[in-house]
Amino acid sequence: MIAVDPAVSVEQAARDALFEVHDPETDLNLVDLGLIYRVSYRPETRRLEVLMTLTTPACPAGDVIVEGVQRRLSLVPEVDDVAVEITFEPHWTPERISSGGRAFLGW
Amino acid sequence: MVAAPGSFARYAPSFRLIKAHFGLGMVGLLAFSAALALRARDLDGFFFQPLLLGLVHLCVLGWLMPVALGAMHQLVPVVFETPVRSERLAWVAFALYAVSVPVFIIGMWTLALGWILPVAATGAATAIWLYVGNLVATLARAPRRSLTGLYVIAALGWLLLAVTLGVLLAWNLHRPYLPLFHIALLRAHAHAAGLGFFGLLIMGVAYRLLEMFLLSHGASERAGRLALVATNLALLALVPALAFQLGTPALALAVAAAAVGVASFIWQAVAIFRRRMRRSVDIAWGHTAGALVYLALAAAVGAGLALGSAREPWVDRFHLAYGLLALVGFAGSVVVGQLYKIVPFLVWLHRFAPYVGIKQVPAAADLLAERPKEVQFVLMHVGVIALVAGVVVDVAPLRVAGAAAFVASSLLFVRNLGVVLARQP
Repeated sequence: MIAVDPAVSVEQAARDALFEVHDPETDLNLVDLGLIYRVSYRPETRRLEVLMTLTTPACPAGDVIVEGVQRRLSLVPEVDDVAVEITFEPHWTPERISSGGRAFLGW
Repeated sequence: MVAAPGSFARYAPSFRLIKAHFGLGMVGLLAFSAALALRARDLDGFFFQPLLLGLVHLCVLGWLMPVALGAMHQLVPVVFETPVRSERLAWVAFALYAVSVPVFIIGMWTLALGWILPVAATGAATAIWLYVGNLVATLARAPRRSLTGLYVIAALGWLLLAVTLGVLLAWNLHRPYLPLFHIALLRAHAHAAGLGFFGLLIMGVAYRLLEMFLLSHGASERAGRLALVATNLALLALVPALAFQLGTPALALAVAAAAVGVASFIWQAVAIFRRRMRRSVDIAWGHTAGALVYLALAAAVGAGLALGSAREPWVDRFHLAYGLLALVGFAGSVVVGQLYKIVPFLVWLHRFAPYVGIKQVPAAADLLAERPKEVQFVLMHVGVIALVAGVVVDVAPLRVAGAAAFVASSLLFVRNLGVVLARQP
């Protein structure tokens, strides 16, 4: 039997959950939009940490997106605490959109 | 939650403030459309007549200005990451504006030259001065500068001038005291308001909205900066040239600079559009594309009028066509197109956003079906084109048909926004 690192499985579950949080204008999920930089789980504190960005620092939906991420990830099993950090280093660029996301946007 | 530099909703004013401005603008749009339809047959002759002065002010102060002020109170705090300096002052200005403007427009329409017209004009101007002061104080606290910010500051400066000239003109109608020719100063007032305020505001805000809604990144701002400088140079030449009747050289300089400004703006808008990540675009962008066409046509007609020397009656018809193209065609199309983006987005933020991450919520664009927007688009632009053509070729039935289509489009537009505002999760 192959041993599965519990942290890896929670992080994967969190990434899967983020496919359900969408940008309100494009309706594309945050993962395919390329906004999620890092998801890491600390089993000892059952804390999920997300490093993500926004398409622009002046994104009017920034709050909403962050709160949506928090709400969705707080429903992931084994997670007691969610911390979301926004960074603009590096800045988001369209190259971060996945091929599936590009197809969704009509390219 | 750890550090969240992307925490922006805190900067936006109350939704009620924005809805009040947009609501007043929709009342103004319906009133303007109705007045246009009732008097479409009479849209001819020299522009300095009560009917046309009343119609223009109903269009600008009744429809376009409240929407522009509402949009600015939403966008400036969010884009510049600073709350409105005083929301209470914005409400005071709104109340004064909502009371003064209808009285002023009726006074203008009937050319009631007693105390009512200038007092109402002073009330409306005071409201706008308060708005401008509040927005300038807001911008002064903004942590960062941007090209759009420079456009907004310049637009507010020209608005101050336009409104001040407007009050001087209103009192001059009551009791002539100005040493300048009234109609010359009226032309300066109109261009400070039209090109100076609405033109610069639309240009500057359009860059941000195009980037934001089309997910466009990386377009050079060079053409946008050139448009800002050239348009302001054009205004610095045009406004004194019109007010003091300086003659052809000053007007030619203004026309050349304005041509560079308009062309650069269109170039910048197209550059942003071409770098968009959203390939499929909705009808709101059809309005924006239409607005660019109207702007180019208005600029061409305006240049011809500024530099031409003909005095025949058809010149008056082109003055009217110029006003229709610039105000209803260009500014009106931008207002309609952007409200189709802004209103669903605000409704989504205020009503649907709390459910993100908990349950499936529609996208902002899905709050209104495309079909009613497409019908409204066709009605509006058929109406505007028929109105302009009916004015130019002086065919009254064509003007009436155009005004009827425009009324239908206005009713449908207000209905469409009402549908969006009624949406609940």
